[in-house]
Amino acid sequence: MNIFNQTGRYFALLLKVFSKPERHSIYIRQTFNEIENLGVKSVGIVAIISIFMGGIMTLQVAYNMTNPLLPTTLIGLGNRDSLILEFSSTIMGLIMAGKIGSNITSEIGSMKVTEQIDSLEIMGVNSASYLILPKIIAVVLMFPILYILSVFFGLIGGLIVGPAVGAVSATDYLNGIQTSFNPYYVTFSLIKCLVFGFLIASISAFFGYTVEGGAFDVGSASTRAVINTNVMILVSDLVLTQLLF
Amino acid sequence: MVFNPGETNLIIGRSGSGKTVLLKSIVGLHEVDSGQILYNNRDFTSMRPRFRKKLRQEMGMVFQGGALFDSLTVEENVRFPLDMFSTLTTVEKQKQVDFCLERVNIIDANKLAPSEISGGMQKRVAIARAIVMNPKYLFCDEPNSGLDPETSMVIDELIHSITVDLGITTIINTHDMNSVMEIGDNILFISDGEMCWVGNRKEILQTENQQLQEFVFANKQYQRIRDEKIEEG
Repeated sequence: MNIFNQTGRYFALLLKVFSKPERHSIYIRQTFNEIENLGVKSVGIVAIISIFMGGIMTLQVAYNMTNPLLPTTLIGLGNRDSLILEFSSTIMGLIMAGKIGSNITSEIGSMKVTEQIDSLEIMGVNSASYLILPKIIAVVLMFPILYILSVFFGLIGGLIVGPAVGAVSATDYLNGIQTSFNPYYVTFSLIKCLVFGFLIASISAFFGYTVEGGAFDVGSASTRAVINTNVMILVSDLVLTQLLF
Repeated sequence: MVFNPGETNLIIGRSGSGKTVLLKSIVGLHEVDSGQILYNNRDFTSMRPRFRKKLRQEMGMVFQGGALFDSLTVEENVRFPLDMFSTLTTVEKQKQVDFCLERVNIIDANKLAPSEISGGMQKRVAIARAIVMNPKYLFCDEPNSGLDPETSMVIDELIHSITVDLGITTIINTHDMNSVMEIGDNILFISDGEMCWVGNRKEILQTENQQLQEFVFANKQYQRIRDEKIEEG
């Protein structure tokens, strides 16, 4: 029953979030702040993870291609399609649920337990909309951009590591990543990114906004937010793959 | 229970007696099960959300911990309600912010973050933010909580003087008897969520109410004051 109760409260909160803002200029300014905090400040970690994972996936594909009849250009192709279809969208989504999601939950949760949210309500501000809507817009806008950067850095990672260890030549790798490219894969993944961005921001914000208690409960809410977001990302990945493929 | 304009109205009681629940019900942070809350004969309890929102702009509230926004400076905290709701120009807003900060004796701290100022200063900034929109009603939830006696007195006097100067209705939650005796014009004593006594600070020392006596005279200082006042007649 608890899951139904939480789901109902989640949608009730979303109704409150998507209300007319009191002052558009303030919300726009907040949104740009959130784009910087949640999006721009995630570029570093996305780049690092993607470079390493691109390199590792290149090596794994290379080492598992034992059949000499298979061309080495498949290494680049395999790395590219893995990045585009799943790694840079779903796996990065799971990672961003931890980084961005826990950030959102703990920020809003801390505001809740220190009565800052009550103070907004007393002023006549729709606290749910003011705090959560800019975050949702920022993450939904930035996550596809982070996805594209992740694909780019992942391919770079493969290009650096593959030739460095002798698994594949740079020429073969570059030929591979250009072979049989299907632009729909990118479209499909960008759609997934929009959905994942919304889930990351909204679910994390829900857990922060509904926290009761003190610092311990904020930490606990942060953990629950990440777990629930990850589960929903995987469920929606399955649904979207079935629908769009 | 009637709270009078231009007066400092106090809600007193032991910890856990329901003071904060009562105050939060009055401002609409808790929904009430029964009864009415009237603001100048406007029924707040049955008001629709958009009218409540308008009425809330006539309120200012000082929370127990200050509840300043961590991500904003002192000046930005005080200016926040003006940015959200007023039609003043930037210059006019700045003038109003400077006036309110001066009123609470905050000088040279405008650009500091709440974490960089003391607890007493945080309370004063919270008061400045609460009055920046020239409210008709000011609510304070244990404004002296966590403060030393000298700073407590400063906060009490500040709230009382603002109440008189602006002619607003102020309601303060407290269990601090010093506040009661210094600034309490109209006092409501609650116990276990029930209203037990209503009066002023002269009457409180002569009360026959057993529970109130235990609360007030737990402090021997007030026993002495009562005895002295009884002697004075």
